[in-house]
Amino acid sequence: MKAFVTLDGVRKQWSPTVSVGPLSLEVARGEMVALLGPSGSGKTTVLRLLAGFEALDAGRIVVGGEDVTAVPPAKRRFGMVFQHYALFPHLDVGENVAFGLTARGAAAADQVRAKVAEALALVDLAGFERRRVYELSGGQQQRVALARALAPEPRVLLLDEPLSNLDPALRERTRRELRTLITRVGITSVFVTHEQEEAFDLGDRVAVLHDGRLEQAATPDELYEHPASLFVATFVGRANVVRGALAGALGARDGQIVVVRPERLRFADAGVPGVVRERRYTGAAAFYQVDTEPGDRLEVQAGPGAARVGERVYVEATGVMTFAEGGGGVRP
Amino acid sequence: MSARSGWFARAALTLLLAWLVLYPILVVVVDAGRGDALATFVSRPGEWGALWASVWISLASVVLAAVIGVPLAFLFEWLEFPGRKTLGSLIALPAVLPPFVGVVAFLFLYGESGFVARAVQAALGLTRAPWRLQGAGAILLVHAYSMYVYFYLFARAGLAKLDASMLEAAQALGAGRWHTLRRVALPLLRPSLAGAALLVFMTALGSFSAPYVFGGGFRVMTTQIVATKLNGELPLAMVETVALALVATLGLVVLRRTEGDDILAALGKGIGPLRRPIRRVSVRALATATGWALAVLLLLPHVTLVLVSLVPYGTWTTEALPPVLSFVNYRRLFGEPERLRPLVNSAWMAAASTAAAIAVALAAGALVGRRGGRWRGPIETLVALPWALPGTVFAVALATTFGAAQPWALRWVLVGTVVLLPLAYLVRNLPVTGRAVLAGYRQLDPAVEEAAASLGAGRWATFRRVTLPLLKPALAAGGSIAFVAALGDFVTSVVLYTYDNRPISIEIMGSLRISELGVAAAFGVMLMLASALVLGLGARR
Repeated sequence: MKAFVTLDGVRKQWSPTVSVGPLSLEVARGEMVALLGPSGSGKTTVLRLLAGFEALDAGRIVVGGEDVTAVPPAKRRFGMVFQHYALFPHLDVGENVAFGLTARGAAAADQVRAKVAEALALVDLAGFERRRVYELSGGQQQRVALARALAPEPRVLLLDEPLSNLDPALRERTRRELRTLITRVGITSVFVTHEQEEAFDLGDRVAVLHDGRLEQAATPDELYEHPASLFVATFVGRANVVRGALAGALGARDGQIVVVRPERLRFADAGVPGVVRERRYTGAAAFYQVDTEPGDRLEVQAGPGAARVGERVYVEATGVMTFAEGGGGVRP
Repeated sequence: MSARSGWFARAALTLLLAWLVLYPILVVVVDAGRGDALATFVSRPGEWGALWASVWISLASVVLAAVIGVPLAFLFEWLEFPGRKTLGSLIALPAVLPPFVGVVAFLFLYGESGFVARAVQAALGLTRAPWRLQGAGAILLVHAYSMYVYFYLFARAGLAKLDASMLEAAQALGAGRWHTLRRVALPLLRPSLAGAALLVFMTALGSFSAPYVFGGGFRVMTTQIVATKLNGELPLAMVETVALALVATLGLVVLRRTEGDDILAALGKGIGPLRRPIRRVSVRALATATGWALAVLLLLPHVTLVLVSLVPYGTWTTEALPPVLSFVNYRRLFGEPERLRPLVNSAWMAAASTAAAIAVALAAGALVGRRGGRWRGPIETLVALPWALPGTVFAVALATTFGAAQPWALRWVLVGTVVLLPLAYLVRNLPVTGRAVLAGYRQLDPAVEEAAASLGAGRWATFRRVTLPLLKPALAAGGSIAFVAALGDFVTSVVLYTYDNRPISIEIMGSLRISELGVAAAFGVMLMLASALVLGLGARR
């Protein structure tokens, strides 16, 4: 992979105890990378360092061979979509989109008008030029923000929690549209999210952050199947984390932690004995909470009629991941 | 801006503000300490009397203003009756009357030869005026009229924030109407009421026009300072100035302490209280009648001013109402260049000082409005300081500081030039524009400026195209209040004016001296109209 954007040993020290990095990450041209992590993990800081709103304490940022570490945000030619969109309330939709086209001095009026129309058409808002931004719905505002960021043809598009401000019903549709749009434009993008589903759906690769450190950057499949750390294994997807006797019963060595996903467990004729305590029905499948005899509780995903509450069952694992206590991943 | 130039800009602004605001006060303090002026001050009972008068007049003004303003706020916020909306806004009318003009209107209305006195005299067939409008009572009358507005507006704002469910909760717990008022509503209003009390106390302490016109032999500290200065006892005037400044600071500290935290803001907004319609017909009629009578009472000074401005010189002697009305006074105002001068002077000085105060406020906002750092405290304090000190204090301080030629100490002779008065207006306006702009900056979403930057706009383009347009409401509000204050100023003008830049208020005083009441009133009307116009423009969205 040839890197278009490179974060090289980037570090930001907020206070003696709070810092982000050092962290290195490469993004290929046209790639879409998700920064995923719980709140406080430093994902927004990484995005703001990329945009230039925060100054680095160490490391450097390179874009297309140009070191932009000391370049102010106005000269980076990065487009940004803000979490709350940050549309200019005193300007109408067209003026918002035109802002980046005229920010660095005069431009021919008809050219600007054409580009604004083009950008608005791209986000399916053709003809919205003279509308006030506060008259628009949340989804429309988001698209205006996107059009505004894309209009000046930036080198990289940054998106801060692009879907968090939309109601759930709208979120999924917007996510699909966003994916289509960005693929069509072919722009290199980095976006921040705290939702795994969003990261997996939109990101070609996902960088998982935790406590200011980069835990793993990989494709969604790789993250899910081969998490590099206990944190990634439990943060990405549902997982049973098992220690002690039950871990041993599932095949772990002494002191190892077993992580097993609910769909990698099934009811069988033999295995770890236990009693079904709860059943949660989700349509295609059901999740069963099983109190095992060795002591811990396991979540099992199985067919809706696989077991009843109160029934004695045997649980078998078809695939487990093991980790050393406090350490990285160990392949099974 | 790099870290270094940012540091330099903040330091430069702090120094500029310190020179404008703090330095003159320090000069006065040092001068007051020289010689035996302090001993003179201590030994004269008149000085202590004036100081005490300032304090008790201010405290009494707070009580009177609260007694009028708070019940009115409850009336207009909690009850529904015919004409409530119109009356509710009429009731803030004293605000458009600059202090000195208000005093003059009171003189025409309730003074010895005012309309009311004449009416009573005619009705009772008296040979002399039934009263003289003079002394502490007269001062308090004017203060109550002009300052209850603070309590009214603050209490109404507080009541509007009050969650109706809290009052309903009290009633559901079995509390009667009085109990709810006393135990729930009033305690929750405390921050609003304390804020209003502080504002009234500081305004009354610095009040100059009313004691100056109606005081007679009764002196408060502001009039005492000006009298001492006119007598040529400059060192003593310095000591008096410092004494008044100390009382103001003390009052500020004590009253701030009673303010407490705004618990209503901490709890967040609930549902606004429902206005209760008054059901009993007789009570509703009474409330309506009281409301309208009050409105008339409040409007009388404005009407009086207009009426007197239409009276040609020498045509009104003993009649209860003026026999001749004409526009001759206005024609003279605009026809004679020397009469027009004060209008022009006030306009340019108010405009220049407001523009400068806005520029300083914007600089403060841009430098410490959001990311304060250690410069925020000093800069915000310096910007707010002139508010805490009476106008007379600053007038004397500036006259002293800029009455000496010591360029090495950053002192130049500005006394007797036209620039000193606008400079004083600027200092007096800083808190108003500063507060508005800093609040505006705090409400600004930083992401909006970052968005501009990410779209390629540099610092200046971002400021011009994004920040400034978004600050416009704050600038309009702060700027219009500052402009009106400077336009109608009397306190600082009376100490610092020269013949060449004499403002409207000084011209009104001059006209009164030579008994040209109509001309004085015409100037007052012009001032009133301009104030109302500018305040109206500033409040528009």
